[in-house]
Amino acid sequence: MRRFQLALPRNIDECVKFLAERGPETKVIAGGTDLLPQMKNGLLKPAAVVDLSGVADLRTLRRQDGSGLRVGASVTAREIERDAYVRSAYPALAESGALVGSVQIRNLATVGGNLCNAAPSADMAPPLLALEAEAVVAGPRGRRRVSLSDFFTGVRRTVLAPDELLVELIVPALGPRSGGQYLRHTPRRELDIAVVGVASQITMSDGVCAKARIALAAVAPTPIRATAAEQALEGRPLTAEQIGRAATLAVEAARPISDQRGSADFRRHLVAVLTRRTLTTALERAAR
Amino acid sequence: MATMKTTRDVKGVGLAIPRPDGPEKVTGQVQYVADLKPRGLLHAKLFRSPHAHARVVSIDTTRARALPGVRAVLTAADIPELKRKAPTRAHAVLAIDRVVFVGQPIAAVAADELAIAEEALDLIEVRYEVLRAAVDPLESMKPGAPPVADAGTEADTSEALAHGSVAGVATEAKPSKAVNISQQAKLQRGDVAKGFAESDVVIEKTYRVPMVHQGYLEPHAVLAQWDTNGLLTLWVSTQGSFNTRSEVADVLELPENRIKVIPMECGGGFGGKIRALCEPITAILARATGRPVRYVMTRREELEAGNPAPQVIIRLKTGVKRDGTLMALEAESVIESGAFSGAVLTVSGVFLASLYLWPAFEVRGFEVLTHKPSIAAYRAPVAPHTIFALDSHMEQIARVLGVDPVEFRLRHLQREGSPMANNQPWLNNGGVEVLTRIAEHPFWKQRAEWKASGDARRLRGTGLALGGWLGGLQPTGATVRLNPDGSLSVLTGQVDIAGTNIALAQIAASAYGIDVDKVRITTGDTDVAPVTGLSAGSKTVYTVGVAVMEAAKDARNQTLEIAAKEMEASIHDLEIENERVVVRGLPDRGVTLAQIGKKGNLYMSKVPPVLGVSHPAFSQQAPAFAAELARIEVDPETGDVTLHGFVVVQDVGKAINPLGVEGQMQGGAVQSLGMALTEALTYDDAGRLTNPSLLDYRKLTAADLPNIETIIVEKPSPAGPFGARGVGEPPIVPAPAAIANAVHDATGVRLTELPLTPERIALAIAAQPAARRPAS
Ligand SMILES: Cc1cc2nc3c(=O)[nH]c(=O)nc-3n(C[C@H](O)[C@H](O)[C@H](O)COP(=O)(O)OP(=O)(O)OC[C@H]3O[C@@H](n4cnc5c(N)ncnc54)[C@H](O)[C@@H]3O)c2cc1C
Repeated sequence: MRRFQLALPRNIDECVKFLAERGPETKVIAGGTDLLPQMKNGLLKPAAVVDLSGVADLRTLRRQDGSGLRVGASVTAREIERDAYVRSAYPALAESGALVGSVQIRNLATVGGNLCNAAPSADMAPPLLALEAEAVVAGPRGRRRVSLSDFFTGVRRTVLAPDELLVELIVPALGPRSGGQYLRHTPRRELDIAVVGVASQITMSDGVCAKARIALAAVAPTPIRATAAEQALEGRPLTAEQIGRAATLAVEAARPISDQRGSADFRRHLVAVLTRRTLTTALERAAR
Repeated sequence: MATMKTTRDVKGVGLAIPRPDGPEKVTGQVQYVADLKPRGLLHAKLFRSPHAHARVVSIDTTRARALPGVRAVLTAADIPELKRKAPTRAHAVLAIDRVVFVGQPIAAVAADELAIAEEALDLIEVRYEVLRAAVDPLESMKPGAPPVADAGTEADTSEALAHGSVAGVATEAKPSKAVNISQQAKLQRGDVAKGFAESDVVIEKTYRVPMVHQGYLEPHAVLAQWDTNGLLTLWVSTQGSFNTRSEVADVLELPENRIKVIPMECGGGFGGKIRALCEPITAILARATGRPVRYVMTRREELEAGNPAPQVIIRLKTGVKRDGTLMALEAESVIESGAFSGAVLTVSGVFLASLYLWPAFEVRGFEVLTHKPSIAAYRAPVAPHTIFALDSHMEQIARVLGVDPVEFRLRHLQREGSPMANNQPWLNNGGVEVLTRIAEHPFWKQRAEWKASGDARRLRGTGLALGGWLGGLQPTGATVRLNPDGSLSVLTGQVDIAGTNIALAQIAASAYGIDVDKVRITTGDTDVAPVTGLSAGSKTVYTVGVAVMEAAKDARNQTLEIAAKEMEASIHDLEIENERVVVRGLPDRGVTLAQIGKKGNLYMSKVPPVLGVSHPAFSQQAPAFAAELARIEVDPETGDVTLHGFVVVQDVGKAINPLGVEGQMQGGAVQSLGMALTEALTYDDAGRLTNPSLLDYRKLTAADLPNIETIIVEKPSPAGPFGARGVGEPPIVPAPAAIANAVHDATGVRLTELPLTPERIALAIAAQPAARRPAS
């Protein structure tokens, strides 16, 4: 790995200030589980690195009465996985946290890092997309809010400017009779990257689907929503047939490539299987 | 060899002893090469080719040399010893004017810090003329393929010799236009055409096993230092220090006695650390700088430019009669050797043609060069690949004939004395015993119930396979000394990568007649240890065990001779008991081992020190077999395979240390389950590795594995110490076939290409005719 300068800010302002001064040649490091392998492989050669580990404000995970959940950018996958409230209210999110890497990786890996690294396969992206989360971003010109569905702009690219920092995610509260699930396929049971990931999130009302959100990982340059599939479900009872139709529409939303992790054909096949399975579980969970 | 008789059972052979080096390894106390920090240490990095095949037009190192902290930047032009026609990978220290695989070193840097050396790599400018690369071995075999080796380069058969392969196999002259066929062999008996003509059932399939990496935890690592007299010392992670010394001496054109190789703790090798890889260039950098230089490969370099196991493609055609009589077998094995020759060609042929007794066969083997990293051994080289083909095939024949698959194998399996394909007789082995034993396991007996317990989303199946290893041989040596306190010191040059040192100490204990905790064993460097072979080919305990046993017996005899003089007794009446030499039946009359040890060490003493020596050579291999059994479940939609249970039954001759033996059985099973299910080095059309990290090169993790049950069978070998056979290779051999057979049992899909990934399984199930597809 190349030599670099290390900055250790104590708060968000110091962080933003350093980024504003050193901008493009600087990288932020949270858990480092994406950044360090990229630096070791020579993919990235930042002249300076800003370490977020001293910025306590980014580490809070808190429930907001009546208005959902705030997840600090530096909250780890392990914290998401183990938080009792997240597990009961947002099981899809907890499941995605529990799938990242191994226990050792999850103790380091952060939500912010997962999203800002912007891999198409990022596991925590689909549930947060399906939950319609918003990102809070801090920069030299103050703070702004970005819907997560506008956050990703390409493979490893986001709306963040080089001098901006992701601060937290705001996850709206869910109505009664809501349910969700995240499933991914990997050849290995753990320590693997999604060949396909699917998050489904539904809210039922009077026996019909009032709201459906389906998000897919690793089948397009960014994590995406399968909106046509969502619309096909809304206002209808979730019969096996309807679920099957939504699965077919989700496949149409996917634009997969063939790579070392899987062929485009297999990825399409998996989108159908996992969409069907997650919707079926989401429906069961909504009934509880 | 007869077992030693002692009047009481000492704590030695047969005792289950945990590896004494375990605690220091799991607590991180062990020093590896990467931990050594001599004064003035420099760090090396290699500039590696980004192209699989290219002419090197120019190299400019000016800017790299100018970087502060850089002590040397070398290219081939700086190393006069380099020969254009490099016969081995070790000799191809730096590319001369052509690169032949991605990751081939072109320039080498030594610098004060690793980060500086890395920065220097960015400042080296190389211009290439990219040439057409031969990436697929079947294409590379054809006339007109771009040549890999320089014209006139010899085939390298030393690996085959190292692995005690097979005598009496005719090598053929190669077709002159197929430039990339570097070795060729043929085994033949009977009239194959007639055999097929008279067969009722003919099955032909092509099996493919990709390149896989041995996956040792510690990467290749070497530290080199020259002294003022021009003596070179190498601290190396190696499977054979004497072999490393010979190869480095050959490349550097140095007398062997001017090189000292210190074998450091070796964090795994599995065949990947036999041949010299980065030792010569590290030594050259140390010479150029006059400083100690260390080179440690990164994981990426290991995967991209290590020496993995070959890709093997086997076309197999068999003919049998409806009553199960074997008629004819025809096979072609293509072994992809990468950029340099060095594959073991004959093991595949012997198993294909003569594990089961075919009256007529014709088996051809080809070693083919491609523009990929050169290959090396990997635990039972090419045997898992061969058994994947052969055992999958035997299972299919049995199913077509509707006969019991175990009985079918047993009926045709070789027995001691049956002719091998090379017309040598099969030696005493436990093939029949392990297959019989595994068929008694509840997983096998209850396979119908297991299958029936599944449902449309969980297809269940069971599979087994039989495989083995012919055994390896290599001359070796050992000494056993009696210390002044009555303890024993055993010295060999054998690198302990598998827990062999404790087993050797147990052998010394039993052969001498003393408890194993009084025995200490040391692996010496090449200056002090008796010449010793590789830790490879399942032959460490089988051969070095004999040397240690004989040296311990020699020390015992010397001890008894000294005691006989002291006690004025006949040597035949003496016995070693409780660390004393006593007269049999008269336990009060005795002299302690410590007394004898002291006498051999005292000033003015007339008693010689006890020094047992043995340096045997060997002629008789001991084939060793394992049978493996898998109970699995398949998700037909995702293709996920869940292993519910796995059983290894292995004939080990005699389990010197049952714990060590079980560790080998489990480790071999784990590695081959990875080969079966997830592992493959994958390359794009330009010959670049597409999965150069352990995230995408998928070794199985503990989460993927079931309990691995081990069942030890002991059918003594005639020549091994205490009847032992080699245990390292057999357990890696059968699993891929066992898993393929189990997947077939569960899903009805017969897959012939490893690894059996979820994608391959799911897409094959989806492609089945709807009638046979499981409902979901
Ligand atoms: C062995 C292994 C297994 C893995 N398995 C998985 C897996 O199963 N699923 C999965 O999705 N990922 C996996 N990953 C990838 C990685 O662990 C996750 O993406 C993780 O969430 C990244 O978080 P981090 O805190 O380590 O990010 P870092 O590496 O610290 O940062 C990642 C990127 O985000 C930027 N960044 C970080 N925080 C901020 C912020 N607050 N504002 C702006 N930019 C920021 C960094 O500059 C960097 O570019 C794995 C990685 C490894 C090494």
